[in-house]
Amino acid sequence: MGWSMTHGTTDDARLGVAGTGAVLRRTFGYARAYRRAGVAAVGLLVLWTLTLLGGPLLVRHGIDEGIVKGDSGQLNLAIVMYVVLAFVSYASFRFAILQLAKVGEAFLRDMRTRVFDKLLHQSMAFFDREKAGVLVSRMTSDVDSLQELIQFGLIMFTSAALLLAGTTILLFLLSWKLMLLCLVAMPMVAAASFKFQRDSNEAYLLVRDRIADTLSGLQEGLSGVRVVQAFAREHVESARFSQANHDLYRTHMAAVRIQCWYLPIVEFAGAATTAVALGVGGWMVSEDAMTIGTIVAFILLLSSLFEPVQQLSQLFNMVQSATASLNKLYTLLDEPVLVADRPNAVVADGRSPITIEGVGFSYVGGGPVLSDVDLQIAAGERVAFVGPTGAGKSTLAKLIARFYDPTAGSIRLGDTDLRDISVRALRSEIVVVPQEGYLFSGSVAENIRVARPEASEAEVRDALDRIGVLERFETLPAGLDTEVEERGSRLSAGEKQLVSLARAALADPSVLILDEATSSVDPGTEAIVETAMETLMQGRTVIAIAHRLSTSQRCDRVAVVADGRLAELGTHDDLVAAGGQYASLYAAWVSGLGEHA
Amino acid sequence: MTHWTRIWLDEPVCACEVGARKGAVTLTMMTPGARQDKGDRLRSSADGVHGSSRRGWSLIATTAREEWVGIALGMLAGLLYTAGRVAVPLLIQLGLDRGVQEGGPLLPWSLAIVGAGLFSATFLGFRRYLAFRNARIIEARLRDRIFAHVQRLHFSFHDANATGELMSRGNTDLQHFQNFVTLVPLTFGNFLIVVTVTIIMLILQPLLALLALASLPLVNVLGRKFAQELNPAIMRVQQESAELATVVEESVSGVRVVKGFGSEPVQAEKLANEADDVHDAALASSAIRARYLPGMELLPSIGLITVLGYGGHLVLDGEMTVGELVSFNIYVIMLIQPLRMLGMIVANGQRASAAGVRIAEVLETAPAITDPATPTPLPRTGALGRVELRNVDFDYHPGATGAGVLRGLSLTIEPGESVALVGPTGSGKSTIARLLPRFYEADGGSIMIDGVDIQKIQRRELRKAVSIVFEETFLFSSSIRDNIAFADPEADLDAVVGAAALAGADEFIRELPEGYDTEIGERGFSLSGGQRQRIAIARAILADPRVLVLDDATSAVDPTKEHEIRDALGEVMERRTTIVIAHRPATIALADRVVLLVEGCIVASGTHEELLASSSRYREVLAADRDAEDGGAV
Ligand SMILES: Nc1ncnc2c1ncn2[C@@H]1O[C@H](COP(=O)(O)OP(=O)(O)OP(=O)(O)O)[C@@H](O)[C@H]1O
Ligand SMILES: Nc1ncnc2c1ncn2[C@@H]1O[C@H](COP(=O)(O)OP(=O)(O)OP(=O)(O)O)[C@@H](O)[C@H]1O
Ligand SMILES: [Mg+2]
Repeated sequence: MGWSMTHGTTDDARLGVAGTGAVLRRTFGYARAYRRAGVAAVGLLVLWTLTLLGGPLLVRHGIDEGIVKGDSGQLNLAIVMYVVLAFVSYASFRFAILQLAKVGEAFLRDMRTRVFDKLLHQSMAFFDREKAGVLVSRMTSDVDSLQELIQFGLIMFTSAALLLAGTTILLFLLSWKLMLLCLVAMPMVAAASFKFQRDSNEAYLLVRDRIADTLSGLQEGLSGVRVVQAFAREHVESARFSQANHDLYRTHMAAVRIQCWYLPIVEFAGAATTAVALGVGGWMVSEDAMTIGTIVAFILLLSSLFEPVQQLSQLFNMVQSATASLNKLYTLLDEPVLVADRPNAVVADGRSPITIEGVGFSYVGGGPVLSDVDLQIAAGERVAFVGPTGAGKSTLAKLIARFYDPTAGSIRLGDTDLRDISVRALRSEIVVVPQEGYLFSGSVAENIRVARPEASEAEVRDALDRIGVLERFETLPAGLDTEVEERGSRLSAGEKQLVSLARAALADPSVLILDEATSSVDPGTEAIVETAMETLMQGRTVIAIAHRLSTSQRCDRVAVVADGRLAELGTHDDLVAAGGQYASLYAAWVSGLGEHA
Repeated sequence: MTHWTRIWLDEPVCACEVGARKGAVTLTMMTPGARQDKGDRLRSSADGVHGSSRRGWSLIATTAREEWVGIALGMLAGLLYTAGRVAVPLLIQLGLDRGVQEGGPLLPWSLAIVGAGLFSATFLGFRRYLAFRNARIIEARLRDRIFAHVQRLHFSFHDANATGELMSRGNTDLQHFQNFVTLVPLTFGNFLIVVTVTIIMLILQPLLALLALASLPLVNVLGRKFAQELNPAIMRVQQESAELATVVEESVSGVRVVKGFGSEPVQAEKLANEADDVHDAALASSAIRARYLPGMELLPSIGLITVLGYGGHLVLDGEMTVGELVSFNIYVIMLIQPLRMLGMIVANGQRASAAGVRIAEVLETAPAITDPATPTPLPRTGALGRVELRNVDFDYHPGATGAGVLRGLSLTIEPGESVALVGPTGSGKSTIARLLPRFYEADGGSIMIDGVDIQKIQRRELRKAVSIVFEETFLFSSSIRDNIAFADPEADLDAVVGAAALAGADEFIRELPEGYDTEIGERGFSLSGGQRQRIAIARAILADPRVLVLDDATSAVDPTKEHEIRDALGEVMERRTTIVIAHRPATIALADRVVLLVEGCIVASGTHEELLASSSRYREVLAADRDAEDGGAV
């Protein structure tokens, strides 16, 4: 099937120079909070690099001033200096690692919480649009690629760059003539590095995509394993996976092949320049244009010229992907929050009437779903929304809970427009129980506690008791502490919905919206639940969406939503008597109950 | 001087590889927390391996043996690379001494260095290629095996092991494994370098060699301790990151619940805690780096200082040449990397063997539900689709407290009959459905399809004969057409459309942007619950089974639509045995017979009307009394 489908490299992994600049500027902006520590980290890194460059110079000093001139004092001086240098190097390296980790990890932690907070406060419209997997990968793989950079990439990258620059300068200072000659090899290395950098970035993006494909294939093969077995398709799915897996292998090898021609070139260039340094340098010594110590220092330094080149071109991918990740994270942070608190948002009393006035709504990029809906729900009233699939019942309910803001008209709680109420305050007054009883990993009790984390054990039991199903859950092997397993697979479909309903009982809101909250529960249990909830619902406004008309029958009023409009409104009996849409829906429902009724 | 740059690369072998590996969508989600022990649950966790690591090593050995030619070639390449590499400092030394100092010809030495460089560079490429090739082949092969194996494992195994847990075995563990296999030929080359360089140095200047090398074994020791401490620290970072990922994943997929209860602050706090944990774990691993890396740097410097100090005086005393001094310098540097890697390979090997155990655990789990040795074919003629359950006992966790989910259940369904299974939530309706295709094995009693015990039927044949529409709809990320044609990908479009029409799905599918080719699933178009259910029904219809089980398959479909589906289903039901699990009277009434299930036992059976009339328990389950009261007036 199609899970190995993202062919070609995806997304905005390639940033232009301007984009990269913007990302970096912004990062520095965020990092300002840690400026002191950051400057210290960079300072230590520079110091450390300098100590690395010092070694060959001391060897040169020892040879030229000490050995060649037969002055053991100078030699000893070089040795002592070297010892000092080694310890400075040790200390600066050590503190550079610690300091950088401190700054980097703090930055990452802030980034994680900041991005997640942003995610949490996005409106439902945002979650409709974005795929869950992509959002999760922002918080995981994108942040991880930054973490990787901080844990070792950054030190390597900075010091490789510094070392490359420092070595080049030093070599020129030692002997610019010899260095110019050695630079003959440079165009070859530069061209190779350039090509490598480009090719390997391409290959790397491809590998990334294939890994994602393989992993999602693995993921889908695991989460869909029951369906696969139900249709006896294990062998076909395995073969398909094998294909994706093989694609991954091929892209891996393509990436390796690129390294396999590049690394030898750099290695060879190193040997070749050493040969030049030895040959030409030796000749210059014989002409007395150079000391032997200089050649030695030259040869020793040359190796620190090519290693960094090699490192840099490999690290470039890491840096590039981290920049791309940062860019994606910033894009997420810049996303406007559609349902946000207005300044001076107020707290409202949920035990007030709900007024829906001239409300129209369309989902982003979709046609109108609701138009011109007027409805008054008194405080403490129970209203059922019924109507055909896609009529807009759930949408209307979501507007009342302010998952979305209406595109026309207004909804008021008491006298206050929903948009003027703080989102947090509103959510504690209005609770929605959705149809799919989504369970988190953890025990039954933990899942109920989602509604009110500080609730005590007794309160959790009480919540179950208030919907009349406490006994059912107490008899589970570990009682309320029974693990529900992945997505609640340990429970039957109806039991999951009951857990989700118990959350509502625990939350104890003033307005309760039940969006087909008992669709998988047998009508008998449903009746028990509804009876038990009578007391719970006393004095509360309840909006119930149900396809089972037994529920609407028990409500004070029924609102029939059809084609995005409020088609009928009245008590069950009135509507049945009126002989309209509701009456025919009801007739269909009752006919199912058998002639017995 | 050059040694520093490689330090960091020791960990991941190559930064680029690691980037690619970690850059992938992290789908690994581990379920933290203690869990009850259960027969099917894999024993090892991410931070501890159950039992001896010998299983891990033997997995490494057997998989490596399959690639022995490649590994041998890789080692040969490593040998040649070493030869070239070790020669260069010697040539520099000779050039400096014979050429520069003694004024001899320089060109031959320069050319020789170029030659040696070309040689070592060439084999550097080969060595790298072979090392990765072997490792990647082994990785791909093992991943194939894991996938194919897991696909065949029974339902209770999957109940007990979360997707995230299995993902981490098929991914993270495999990476550790692959990493180690890559290192094997590289290690061999490193070992050679250490031996030859030591010998050369000893031959050149025995005493200086001993002094210069004295501190280097410590590099090896430090390298080993470093890896031993770093690996668990990295594992902890990964574990903490996985926990953080779980919070994110659950908040995003459960966003309706989170928003519905206004629990954003709670989730935010959970995440802040996890972020703190990751932060602390990462700092701890950095502290380990800070403790070891500078030390591993310092030790070689001591060697270099010894070379300059003692060696310098030897040169002054005329007992050694400048060239030798330089080549010693270079050799000491050349030794650092291999020594450190040799130290680390031990710890990496331990990590790989732990990963190997976790992989082997999966591969060694035998499928509990296997094909019989001598399968009995299902009859092909006559009235087909007779289902018979005789005295069936079943519990998901046999031996646990409680009375069992199904208790001595007997039920016979005649060919072509349609039966509605009705019962309160948790009474075992779905469980019966899962037993028929042998997703779980009954603990007692027997189940027969067309007179053949299902344990005697080949699984493929059985599952082609019995199709289930699960109460929780799972669709694949793929086109609608592929999803419907899942049972028979060869099916032509007419067959797909036919099945969709019978499931009441054709109409809405045609209205989608790309009709039957619309991609659905995580990366595609999102459908409503009712629409998804209808596609799942179409998928089962296309499979054309002799027994069709619909487990609450229309719960999200509204009554008017359900009406249409019902009419269509009537046609489907006519031709086969059908078991319908439903709560809605209208759907139930469609069946020839209704069976009432309470707490795993059948308490009544008859037509809908009969039961309504005769069984008070039935009326209770359907809440019919109340409806009759309230709605009786109509
Ligand atoms: N998140 C969304 N994005 C875009 N369109 C949507 C979204 N949710 C619903 N719709 C569309 O809006 C319309 C109304 O949907 P809504 O869920 O309100 O219907 P409903 O009356 O509750 O139906 P059901 O009985 O199936 O729950 C439908 O056409 C649906 O396809
Ligand atoms: N995978 C499982 N592991 C352990 N126990 C389970 C599992 N699935 C179901 N159960 C338990 O077995 C009992 C029967 O569950 P089953 O799913 O068969 O009920 P059901 O009759 O289909 O209910 P519903 O109408 O709610 O779907 C329940 O008490 C449930 O908690
Ligand atoms: Mg069920």
